[in-house]
Amino acid sequence: MTCRETLNLLPLFFDGELEPRQMRAVAMHSTRCAPCEAALREIERLQEVVSSTLNTRVDEIDLSGLWTAIEPRLRARQLSWWERVRAHWQDPSPWELRLPAFAAAAAIAVLAFLFFARPPQPAVTEPAAPQVAAVDNAASIDSLEADSDVTVLNDPETRTTVLWVSDDTSVGDAP
Amino acid sequence: MSLVGSVVIGSLVALFGVPPARAADESSSATLASSPVINAVEVRIGAVLASNSGKEFDQRLASLHRQFNTLFSYSSYHLVKEERQRVPWGARAGFDIPGGRYVLVIPREYKNDRVSMKVMVIEGTRPIVDTVLSLRNHATFLVGGPRQADGVLILSIGADMLH
Repeated sequence: MTCRETLNLLPLFFDGELEPRQMRAVAMHSTRCAPCEAALREIERLQEVVSSTLNTRVDEIDLSGLWTAIEPRLRARQLSWWERVRAHWQDPSPWELRLPAFAAAAAIAVLAFLFFARPPQPAVTEPAAPQVAAVDNAASIDSLEADSDVTVLNDPETRTTVLWVSDDTSVGDAP
Repeated sequence: MSLVGSVVIGSLVALFGVPPARAADESSSATLASSPVINAVEVRIGAVLASNSGKEFDQRLASLHRQFNTLFSYSSYHLVKEERQRVPWGARAGFDIPGGRYVLVIPREYKNDRVSMKVMVIEGTRPIVDTVLSLRNHATFLVGGPRQADGVLILSIGADMLH
């Protein structure tokens, strides 16, 4: 990808509007091209300025009386949940219409029982706690985010850290 | 903008916006991988195809033989790509890896014989891994799991201080 192509695509890149192939090409080009990286940083600075200005203006708006004006109107129209349930059962609608409600309630009760009866499972996607005295190939992970399931393995024998990715499109077998 | 796009861009903005800890001014951040770099770090990435078809162990992976045999149960390991880049502190390094994926690395600081760096593995428009970690100088950590051909891809990522 040339600099001209990259510069044309930078605004779309910044907005996340590019296709994966173009996104990759722009990202890779900008890591290796100082002028394009500078242009990208310029867009970032512009974005920060716009965001900062807007936030400042929004902060200047006095919204303190907004909720106090809305709340009384909501209260006037609000029914308690019990009043709504009673009104529903006093409605002379056919019995058949109430069957789905019974079925849903029964299903929720069964699911709740199964959920609470199940023994707790240890979470496997939590990043490992920062290690104080890691040695050799062990990595200390300060933060970990992922758009898929990631398991952190710290093997004491080889003192190696592994981040194992498994998701819908990358269904890796467990190591 | 889609949610996925927002997530990716948020991550990329965070990545590009990382303040260098020991860093490099504007001119040095403009230094390219091929330029001479003082007080930088060399980031190395190996892409290994692990599978159960065949029983070959690539001899170029000898230094990782013990880890692979202990940690994984595949019968074949083949180094499909290896790349090194010298990167100034706070600058970014991009690595193409198989499957249309790529890795972005930002070395942040060197402290107590450990290199701190931000690492993103991106597939399509989504980061499948986005982490900040520290690693002992000359050490290597592994990222595995993405499907590749008839096996999985295992990335070995390490850093070596340059003085």
